Amino acid sequence: MKKYLTLFRINWQNSLQYRFSLVIYLAGYSLYIWVLLYLWSAVYHEGNTVGSYTLSQLTTYYLLQLMINSVIFSYISWDVIDNIKDGHFSNFLIKPLDYFHYWFTVNLSGKILEAFFVIIAVGLISLLFGGYFAFPGQWITLLYFLISVILGIVLAFEMDFCVGMITFWLTQVRTFKYMLQTLILFFAGAMLPLDLFPDFLMKVSDILPFRYLVFFPISLYLGKVVNPWPSFIMLSVWILIFYVLARILLMRGIRRYEAVGA
Amino acid sequence: MRPSVPDIFHNIRRYLKLYRVFLFQNLKEDMIYRSNFITLVIMDIGFVGISVILFKIIYSHVNTIAGWTFDQSLILIGSVGIIREMAYLTFRRGFLELGSHIRTGTFDLFMTRPIAPNLHLAFRHVSLSESFGEAVMGGVLVVYGLVHLHHWSWISILLYGVFLLNSLLIYYGFSLLVNSVVFWVIKSQELNTIIYFFMETSRYPGDIFRGIGKIIFTFIIPIGIIATVPASILIGRIGWGFAVTALMIGGLFLSAGLWVWRRSIEHYSSASG
Repeated sequence: MKKYLTLFRINWQNSLQYRFSLVIYLAGYSLYIWVLLYLWSAVYHEGNTVGSYTLSQLTTYYLLQLMINSVIFSYISWDVIDNIKDGHFSNFLIKPLDYFHYWFTVNLSGKILEAFFVIIAVGLISLLFGGYFAFPGQWITLLYFLISVILGIVLAFEMDFCVGMITFWLTQVRTFKYMLQTLILFFAGAMLPLDLFPDFLMKVSDILPFRYLVFFPISLYLGKVVNPWPSFIMLSVWILIFYVLARILLMRGIRRYEAVGA
Repeated sequence: MRPSVPDIFHNIRRYLKLYRVFLFQNLKEDMIYRSNFITLVIMDIGFVGISVILFKIIYSHVNTIAGWTFDQSLILIGSVGIIREMAYLTFRRGFLELGSHIRTGTFDLFMTRPIAPNLHLAFRHVSLSESFGEAVMGGVLVVYGLVHLHHWSWISILLYGVFLLNSLLIYYGFSLLVNSVVFWVIKSQELNTIIYFFMETSRYPGDIFRGIGKIIFTFIIPIGIIATVPASILIGRIGWGFAVTALMIGGLFLSAGLWVWRRSIEHYSSASG
């Protein structure tokens, strides 16, 4: 445990060094969200309403999405891919560090820094856009939301780790990852709230685990989920499934990696 | 010293010739990696497909967005695709590589050649394949949108081409402005994510912007111009006043971009020093 705490601290300091890149990336993504806010605002000013959303709820949806994109989503698979491809992975085979736990720690320490910056970004946009951000009416809602965010961080990490593991089998993994990432964002509800989808796509997104990364936490926040417990249970099941999958992929990957090296 | 008119023509001819050499060299490389080309095209078609689906879903709830119908919006999506490919065929790859040139010091090469550094950087790795799928899809969407609009003329198609070029110049000027930061702050490969999101959001009609947003997204971050103006010209939505303004914005961004770029290059000190 202690060595992971040290790792956490070291990586935290490393991330601080890269804060310029982080700010630039956030600026780009904030720009995207900002334009979407104008889009929905224009739609509502033409006298339309979309689904069961008020303009304030939709604005809140996208501002929370901006936050979630930094806080929940994991991007460490880019580093995992490099790590395996350029052979640095070999170092881990002889270190008393667990590869899964290593990246989990790295991911978590990066997230905390990002959370700090993204909250500033959200604050700035809401100021520029003018008081549309809705706050939940009850404390319990906020508590549910926080639990879903924490579980979301774990699930997102496990998925991302599994994507990184593909490197052991597929050399063109980057192209594959771009496509997968877009599909995940689409079915997570990052681009549009899932309850605006047509029936067929909504059913597909219900089966897939990605909805727990974006749509579920935000719906909780907006008070649109009457009874969150079934979803919490499903979310925990997915966390378990992806944990087992990550372990299996890592185990088999190492075996394959050694075979290549031999 | 001001260059005389024949000088300028001579220069243009020279750069066109250089461009052709670079283009053919890059095409040869593209052809070596044919499977890569196919993957890129399939990926692009997927990405554009998702954009269309997103618009389709929004339009299942509303009839118009800021006055734009679904068919008209397809022309917007298509125009972004075409402009992106035009950019990859002229300058985009160079900017993506700029960060690493600065970091490793290979930018020295661009400073010492008898070609303007910005054009050498731009032409060196022009790419047909990078956005080819998006351009093909873009062309299809524009034609589809046009056919469903029922009224179009050859003149408007010609003007569409002119304004696409104008948007390309705005895109170039904006890229120069953003990328100039690299000479002042060395670590900045992420600068181009801003430009990526800039193009992504250009798909939405510029008419959505109101108040201060209208000014920001027209004159400072011209998201509301890039695709909206050519598309509006094609479907006959805008008056001459705004069209002329768009041309002026094009000139403005190009001059500002070149000016800031030149200033920033003076600030470049090689990595090896």
